[in-house]
Parts: sequence; C-alpha cells; structure tokens
Amino acid sequence: MTGRRFSPALPAVLVTLCAAIPLLFVVYSSIQLPADRWSVLWSNRLPGLLWNTLSLAGLVAIGTLVLGISSAWLVARRNFPGRRLAVWLMVLPLAIPSYVFAHIYTELFEPDGWLGSAWQTVFADVIAIPDIYSMGGAALVLTLGGFSYVYLLVRASLLYSSRTLEEAARMQGASPTEVFWRVNLPLLRPAIAAGLAVVVLHVLSDFGAVSMLRVQTFTLSIYLQMSGRFDYQSAAGLSLVLVLLSLTFLVVERYFRRRQRYYSSGVLHSHVELQQASLRETLLVWAWLGLITLFALLLPLAWMLTWTWHAIEHHMLDAVFWGYAGNSLLVSGLAATLALLAALPVALLHARRHSLLSHTCVQLASVGFVLPGPVIALGFLTFVLAWVSPLYGGLALLVMALAFRFLPLSIQSQEAALQQLTPAIEQAGRMLGAGPLENFRRVVLPMIQGGMATAWVLVFIETLKELPATLLLRPTGFDTLPVRIWIEASEEMLELAAPAALMLVLGALPAVWIMLRGELHMHRRKQKTKQPEQVMPVPA
Amino acid sequence: MMERLLLWLALCATSLPSLAADPLVIFSGRSDKFVKPVVEAFSRDTGVEVVLHSAKSTELLNKLRLEGARTEADLFLSNDAGNLQKGSDFGLFRPLHESVVAVIDPGLRSTDNSWVGLSARARVLVVNTDDSKMEFLHSVFDLAEPRLKGRLAITNSANESFIAGTTVYMLKAGTDKTRAWLEGLKANAGGQVYAKHSKIVADVAAGRKSVGLVNHYYIYRHLDKHPDAPIRILLPDQGDDGMGVAWNVAGVAISKYSKHPDAEKLVEYLLSEQGQQLFAEENREYPTRKGIPAAREVPAAGSYKVANVPMAALGEQRDATLDLLDQVGMP
Repeated sequence: MTGRRFSPALPAVLVTLCAAIPLLFVVYSSIQLPADRWSVLWSNRLPGLLWNTLSLAGLVAIGTLVLGISSAWLVARRNFPGRRLAVWLMVLPLAIPSYVFAHIYTELFEPDGWLGSAWQTVFADVIAIPDIYSMGGAALVLTLGGFSYVYLLVRASLLYSSRTLEEAARMQGASPTEVFWRVNLPLLRPAIAAGLAVVVLHVLSDFGAVSMLRVQTFTLSIYLQMSGRFDYQSAAGLSLVLVLLSLTFLVVERYFRRRQRYYSSGVLHSHVELQQASLRETLLVWAWLGLITLFALLLPLAWMLTWTWHAIEHHMLDAVFWGYAGNSLLVSGLAATLALLAALPVALLHARRHSLLSHTCVQLASVGFVLPGPVIALGFLTFVLAWVSPLYGGLALLVMALAFRFLPLSIQSQEAALQQLTPAIEQAGRMLGAGPLENFRRVVLPMIQGGMATAWVLVFIETLKELPATLLLRPTGFDTLPVRIWIEASEEMLELAAPAALMLVLGALPAVWIMLRGELHMHRRKQKTKQPEQVMPVPA
Repeated sequence: MMERLLLWLALCATSLPSLAADPLVIFSGRSDKFVKPVVEAFSRDTGVEVVLHSAKSTELLNKLRLEGARTEADLFLSNDAGNLQKGSDFGLFRPLHESVVAVIDPGLRSTDNSWVGLSARARVLVVNTDDSKMEFLHSVFDLAEPRLKGRLAITNSANESFIAGTTVYMLKAGTDKTRAWLEGLKANAGGQVYAKHSKIVADVAAGRKSVGLVNHYYIYRHLDKHPDAPIRILLPDQGDDGMGVAWNVAGVAISKYSKHPDAEKLVEYLLSEQGQQLFAEENREYPTRKGIPAAREVPAAGSYKVANVPMAALGEQRDATLDLLDQVGMP
C-alpha cells in the first residue's frame, strides 16, 4: 500500500541537483586554480581573512546572545504593561537589511550626524567619536540586525517549555538568577544553538555591511576577487575554504544540539500565568528593551523618515522610484513561490522517512546557506549560459538563483509543518479511494498550509533584502530597491536611499505580521487543547 | 485562481524585456553621477532612449565575455583604460571609424580604434592643510613611510583606478620597488581600505586621515560642496628625476554584437565639443579632444609632468599587477 503513495523522491533529487550547481561550480573552478596561486592565497590572504571573519562572527555571536536571550526571557517570563508591543518591537529589526543598518550608522556617527553630535556634546573633546568603520562597528551593526533570530527561537522555546523545573528550583530556594543560569539556560541550549547558527551563517555570508564598513571578511574578499579579475579561480578557492568553515561550524552546532536533545523532549505543560512585574521591575525591563529598540529600530526608522520626507518635499519620488519598488516585489514574490514549490518535495521526502537519500538531499539543498551570494549567482550564471541558454536574458535566472539561495529556509519551515503528518493519515486517505495526487491535494496540503505560509514569508523577506546576487543577475536596466540603495548610498544620495530602505521595511511588515500571527494562533490552539491539564491543582 | 496567477506571472516575465522599445543599452562601469548628465543631454538632443546598466567595470566586462553574442549591451563605458584594452584583447569590441576618433590624441585610444578615451584623470594626493607634518610628501612612494601609519587613506585593491596607478608605478619604478611600496601602504592603511574615492577626500577634509591617494576630480567635487574644506591637491613625482603623475582615461567601446543603429551616434556625441565640455565642467576631468581645456580650477594639462606610459599598456600589464597585489595580500 505504501508503495503506491505519491513519491517525492524524483522531484526532490532534481531540486537537489539544481541547488548543488553553485557548489559544483566552486569545486570545478578551484580545481583549476594553479598550485602557486593556492600557495599565495594560503600565505597572504587566508590568515588575515580567517582572523577577521572569525572574530567578527564571535563578536556578533556574543552580542546577539546577550540581546536575544535577555529580551526573549523578559517577554516570555514577565508580565508588564506593553508586553505585547515589546514582542513586536524585538522582531521588526529583521526587516532592515544589514547594509541599510551600516549606511545609517555611518551617517549617524558623522561629526554632524545625530549620534556624532550628541557624542561630542556629552564627551566634548575628551573621547573621540568611536570609529564605526571598524570590526567593532561591523559587529554592532550585524548584532542589531541579527539578534531577532536568537530572540524568536529562544522565545518560542520558552513559550513551549515546561515551567515545572523552574518552579521546582524556586521551591528549593534558588534565586531567579540561579534559576536562569541553572535551569533556563541549559534547557534553551538547542534553541540558542539554532539561533546562533542562523546568525553566524548570516555574518559569514554578509556582503553589504562589511563592504560599507571596510572589514575584510571572506565574502567581501571573494567579491573583490571576482570583480577585479578576469578569472574566477581565486574567488572559487576562497569560497571553498569558506564552505569548509561553515560546514565545520554546522557540524559542531548539530553535535551540540544532538547532545541536548534529551532536555528538549518530554515537554508537557505550557503556559502558567506570567509573573507580574513590580513597578520597579517594569521600569528596568522597559529601560533595557527601550534601549535595544532605540538603536535597532527607532533611530534607523527616524533617519529613514526624515530623509524620505526630504525626498517627498523635493518631489524626488517619481514613477521611476515606484518602478524599482514594483521590481522588488515582483522578484521577491516569484522567488518565494519558486522556493516554496522546490522545497516541498525535499521536505516531504525527509519528513516521511529519514533515509540516507533524504539526508543527502536536505544537506545538499542547504548549500545556499554556506555559499556567499555573489558565488551562487555566478554559479547559476555560468551554468545557464553553458547549458540552458534560452533561460538567459529575462528574470528567470535571477529568480532561480534567489530561490535556491534561500531554499534552506523554505525547506526547514515546511519540514517542521510536515512532522505532524503521520503515514496513517495519508494511508487513510488512500484507503478511502483517493489517488496519490488527490490525496496530496486534499489531505497533505491542508495540513501543511501554515508551514507553507511561513516558508513563503521568510524567503520573501530575505529576497526583498538581497543585494549581491541581484546586482550580478538583474536583467539589463532592471533595478530593484536594494540595488538602488546600493547605488544611491555609495553616491551619498540620502534622499533616494532612505525612501527605498523605508519601502523595504514596509514591504516586510505584512510578512512579519503573518508570521507572528501564525505563531500566536498555534499557541492559542495549544493552550486550548491543554486546558484539562491546567485545571489540575497547582500547589501555591 | 492558481492558473490565472501563473499566467499573469508568465506575462510579466516575458513582457519585461519588450516593454522598452529597443533603447540603446550602455553597460556603464562609471558612477551614475559621472555619466548621467552627458547621457541625458544626448537623449534630449537626439530623442534616442538610453538604458544605463551600472556596475563595476571589470564585473561588466566579465558579463560581456560570459554573454558573448547574447549580450544586450550596445556600448561598454569604463572608468579605466586597462579594462577597455582587456576587452579589446578578448575581441569583444568592433573598431570605431577613424573619422570619428581622429579628434582624439592617439595615445588616448587603442591602436586598432576598438576603444577611445573620453576623459582623462590624474592620480594625485589629497592632503589635509591643517596637518603640518605632511610637508615631506613629494612622491607617491612617500606614502609608504611608516610615519603615515593610520593617517593614510587608499581604496581597496579591486578599484580600477588603484590597479591602473599601480601598473604605471610598476612600469616606471620596477616591480621590487612597487612591491615594497604596496607593503608599506598595506601597513599604513591598517587593513582599513575605502570603497569610494569621495569618502577618502571627505575623511582627509575632516582630519580623520592626513593624506589620500585619489583621482584629481574628487577633490574639486568636494570643494564644490565645502569650499572652505582644509584640503589641497599635491601633484606627485614632479621635478627632473620624478616619474611624473600617473594618468588614466575613462573610455567607451561598441560591442561587437551590437545591432543598434545609434551606437556610433552616441560615441560621436561623447566626443563632440559639446559632450567633451560636459566632462570638463560637470566632472572636472581632462577632455581627451584636442583644444578643449579642463575646468579652470584643475591644474592645466601640460603644466606638469605626466608619466610616459601608453594607455594600452594599462591593459597589457594588468594581470602582472593583479598578481603582485595578490602576492602582497593587498586588502
């Protein structure tokens, strides 16, 4: 009976092969790199790049952990006025691309910028304005743009995890701080590891922020090698090292999570009344969350609004500008849809049965996470021109590269949804006479709709912000908002960069809303089903 | 519903290229601000619609190479003679008529007329006038002095103007001296290199750096907005034993595969007195057409010593320069 189920194996393999194109390109090109140029790379470039990249990743990891865990714990464990608002405020920085953060902070730290002049007023000439064009500056910018990933995952974990252990520890006389360090933190380890993985991979593949802040990392160096030379071998060689670095990191992260699985299983209860914060606590909580919001959201938004207003006053937002916005929406919508469709068979294959084939597919399809955007773009460009040249010239190539770059996001979200789908449910459908396709449409699809929405939204937001691959693959004369921000910002046309950035944030807003709403909805449903358990008397 | 959506998407995807009625496509490796004024003037005067596809010169040349006959580009506009000569070596361009390019000095175009220089720039130093310790500067090679540690601003080594300048110094002063110089620059810049010349001038003016290596016109563009900025231009390597200032040209070529009837017309326009004056006035560059002077504030061509290196050499020696930059590990 199971033999005649709709089998996703073939489409999954096809998708995986497509996703692996850039990796094949990297391996193929770096094989051609002559030994003497390898040794030049090893001795002259790699040590500096490794040091820069790893220390940046380390700093951002620390920064995002501090901001992400603290904010998640506060909104998930304390009840204070404005808590619902805080839940939102901590997610919204995700909508601001890292290069926009970088650009805004360079402007703010100018001697005549808001922060620069405030700094000079406070410290007069005693302490110079900190140099934003530095490792520290890049770490700040990437932390502000990335801590929300840690926040989201840790918060979800806190929401669904049992409070029994915390209460037990409290009853044994542990202080809240002790509970946090000895109960919460170990339980959160898988969520923290997952959040860190996302953050670190973002740092490793970040291009816009580091190039604006002049920090030489792997991805920037790869881009410069690509755009300065007439062969791609050095760029490919560096990419190969970067891939190995990312893979090592992922393996370490998996190892950590696997060892911690024991803790995260066996979750039973959820949701007990949140502890009400006292007035003093409320003030402290809002002081901290307010500080984060100020730097991660309010200042950038205020800057964008100021310059957008300027642009409106000078009638600079013409049809051309709206054309860029339209282009952005079109490309992002298409790429998110393609990623959704392509990820489905892979996720389905892996969710039904973990096999060697499914593991291989999932791992290989995740290559978009570990390769820098420009390299992915180049891989697809080379492939399409050599083998399927009719695809060249329009949007197809760009959409394809973007979809496969963010395919891992789509696979992960859909896989999570597909976990609920047991073979028994599918078999029931077949026994009632549904064909494989009908079964898929009427049984499988309705069950995974929520996960699909999240998958679409995540890819949509990421593509909306994507810069390097779009720069390389956009059709002639086809500029998107990020491309324009890039061009205008590098020419200091703030009036045009700001509204484009603002449009990106606005475009991502509904997407974030759908995501958060879905999560809350799930949470409520969970609460309802758990009601009988909650009635059980809890010792006061 | 799904079908209608797909149909709509398919329509969008296919109708995109055909929306614009066959405009003239320029792959432009120059900043929009240096190209737009003259291109817009051309469209106004002739009614020919132009699409500017902007990116880095080398990136676009790579794109032209990969695309081959499929390219939509009619013209390739580059900020660097090295790229133009490379494109010519790759056989990507078709020669321009002798009659069109005759007005340009033969040293500022390729020998087979496959590309022509539009405007020239000098590689100069911008110095902060408040910093009295900069009096020792006379040559670009002085930039490697350890006393400039943390005070020097340079672009990253993928910048076409940086590469072209280094090629000139290599040809005039030899590889060993240039290698030692690059190592000094690397140490002085402290791994912090700039993506844009305009930022270098701004930082020297603000006193965050004392000296920068830039193309001359960025200094005047900054002085336009901030007339009182404490900066001055320093023409390096003058005097009897000096090698002279490195020059480079921005230029244009027509793609071998272009079928657009107006491609040549645009080149003619760019080389006309009117077009050349725009380069002089808007951009403060040196017009390549004989008899058109540079802007008044710019040191007049011929009033100082220029390194005697033909522009085509910037392309021929480019790979050697890139290898040297790699060996030094220049950021």
